[in-house]
Amino acid sequence: MSVRWLTRIAAALLFLSLAASTLPRLIAIVNNARALLPLPYEARRERQMGPWYASIEKLRAELPKKEQVALIAPPRDLDSAIFANYYLYPIRTRLFAGHNAYRNAAPDRMRPAVVVAVNAAHAERTEYDILRDRDLAAGHRIVAAPELSDPTTTFVLPLAASLDGPSPDTFLVEATLANPNAAPVEVRVTFWPKGLMRTILIPPGTTTTYYDFIYQLFGIMNRGWMRVESSQPLRTAFYFANRGRGDATRLPNAIREATRLAPVPLNRDAKLFVINPKETRATMILNGESISLDPHAFISRPIASLPVISGDVYAFVTARELNGRTNFLWPQ
Amino acid sequence: MIALFVTILLFPLIGWALGRRSLGEAFLLGLGITGSVLFIAGVVHVPLVIAMVLLIVASLIGIVLTRRPLQLPRFHSPLPTILMCIPLVALAFAAAITPLNDFDGRAFWALKAKGIAHERSIDGPFFHGGTLDPRNQYPILIPLDGAVILSLAHSLDDRHLRWLYLGILAALALLLRERIGRLVTPAAGAWCAAILVWIPQFAVEPEGGALSAYNDLAIAAFAAGAFFELLDAEARKSEIRFGLWLAFLLLTKREGLPFALGFLAIGAFVFRKRIVMPAVITSVATVALMVWRWRIPVGDQEDVVQVLPTIPDKLHRIGIGAFPRHMLLMPRWGLLWIAVIVAAMFATRLDRRAASLAIAVIASMLAIYTAVYVTTAWVPSELIGVTADRLLMHVIAPSLFLLAMAGPDNPQRKRGNR
Repeated sequence: MSVRWLTRIAAALLFLSLAASTLPRLIAIVNNARALLPLPYEARRERQMGPWYASIEKLRAELPKKEQVALIAPPRDLDSAIFANYYLYPIRTRLFAGHNAYRNAAPDRMRPAVVVAVNAAHAERTEYDILRDRDLAAGHRIVAAPELSDPTTTFVLPLAASLDGPSPDTFLVEATLANPNAAPVEVRVTFWPKGLMRTILIPPGTTTTYYDFIYQLFGIMNRGWMRVESSQPLRTAFYFANRGRGDATRLPNAIREATRLAPVPLNRDAKLFVINPKETRATMILNGESISLDPHAFISRPIASLPVISGDVYAFVTARELNGRTNFLWPQ
Repeated sequence: MIALFVTILLFPLIGWALGRRSLGEAFLLGLGITGSVLFIAGVVHVPLVIAMVLLIVASLIGIVLTRRPLQLPRFHSPLPTILMCIPLVALAFAAAITPLNDFDGRAFWALKAKGIAHERSIDGPFFHGGTLDPRNQYPILIPLDGAVILSLAHSLDDRHLRWLYLGILAALALLLRERIGRLVTPAAGAWCAAILVWIPQFAVEPEGGALSAYNDLAIAAFAAGAFFELLDAEARKSEIRFGLWLAFLLLTKREGLPFALGFLAIGAFVFRKRIVMPAVITSVATVALMVWRWRIPVGDQEDVVQVLPTIPDKLHRIGIGAFPRHMLLMPRWGLLWIAVIVAAMFATRLDRRAASLAIAVIASMLAIYTAVYVTTAWVPSELIGVTADRLLMHVIAPSLFLLAMAGPDNPQRKRGNR
């Protein structure tokens, strides 16, 4: 056999090696195109990309055209945000890897107010609070075995919050409410100083738990104090928790005004908190200065040393350790 | 349909203004000239619409003034011609119907085309953080061409860009067919074009193939143009075309600049004193690119200058075997690279000069990739995994030329056989 024939056979083998791989895929591509042919173009994209693309189409219609939009995607799903940006253009977007990145950009005045949550399954216009709540709901409560109080009907929680600090600080109240009675209990919770009120019904012999009491009950991110009033004695446990750092402190069920703070050295970022749980104005004496407080007031101020405080109010101090843990100094 | 007509008429028209080139070459020249002219116009803040109108008018005048007839593809070698047409027709059918569905195309290249078409600018808010735009500093020649199509179609929908990338593959095939046909034999050219469009990586790979919107096809085509000018250096004005191909290369992708420098170094031996013209054209494009980059915020890509001093610490990576392993991936390359290596050995015996040029071009481009893989802050095997097959596309023209030289139709081989 001549060299010429050998090279021809080699060339044929080369071509066959290419065609063997290309031809089946080419046929698949053409068949896919034939299947898509009867559909309108956008429907073809939906067929290719699934419900994700349908959600992008919906977003395109509802988002403001001239305002930058925050695309918040889980760090593992950033590709979805990149493609969302592509299909939403010319709507301008800014990518945030996880809602923590968005909250850390809070000091940035250019941070978009309109939020779109996007992942590999779908994209939707939403609010930061909702994303935060989803993440919290998907996680675990810090206090797995809460220590329940003695049965009681009315008390005050001196601190109640659902708030974020710089990542990872995520402050919330983990609550457990147990009804040891044979009848259902109606619990009225009032969040002050906003004065928001909700009623919870707890069936007999059951326990209700909350991973973020304030947000779950009132749908807001804020801080203040709470009055809890129950139709029958209730056993409760409320923990002020920092979910981001995994620490939690049990909140006292305050019954009456108290201001006497035991002298202890303070760590950094110490703050004095004072609440007026009464329906009338209250007066406190802070380091000799008389201060009048509105009904249901909740005030805080930074302090460098432990103050001398008195009056018909409830006062406590918080301070943070170097590791970020919050310590509480409750009145005696 | 507007986009189809714009793609298949406008770019060849602009390319033919440079002279009566073949259809494939005219398309690629038109693509490069349009992108380059608009890029330089954008850098000096000439409105892109005015620049485009002037370019079209100048092209029409150029065509009228050139008296030689248009070079349309000639029909010969029916079997390879039919084999070449089959995937192109199938891909055209798919491109007309199937939406774009790749990664880089949507994440970077087509997005840039949309941004430019929307803002009519290459340094507007889009490039200044107005929207999410990773890899901000990628060169934008092809996105500018895409922006022309989108602007003329009055739409930002990427369906209008589908013809562009398939057009590049078809043009590259026609360029190979015509140039290898002229340099070796028409049958060899026809077979090389047929082989090209049957290579899975070019035809059907979702990342980098003709149905994606990656720029590697364009780099492969522009590198092919530059390579054939090296082989055809005695032709009239070849040094100008060589310079233009190099400018297109460096305005298309980041690796285009080192490629152009490599081509210039090889071209210095071929063109001798005439290398001044390509060097000037390349310099103008480089300066324009640097000015543009200086004006827009830095993207999130690796800083090449910063990683250069780390080379001595990373030299052990040269021994990485991942890259050669990609050459042997049958689903993407078949037996191509084995055939090319064997052909290179035969070709050097048949025509030492031409084969050496082809090998030098391949070696210089692969050396650049090796340097990138050595210096990258990525895990080299991961970077190779996602890029190697696309980078191998860039050296396709000299590789197929080596195959053609060693093939059964080469007259030099026939003389050797006798």
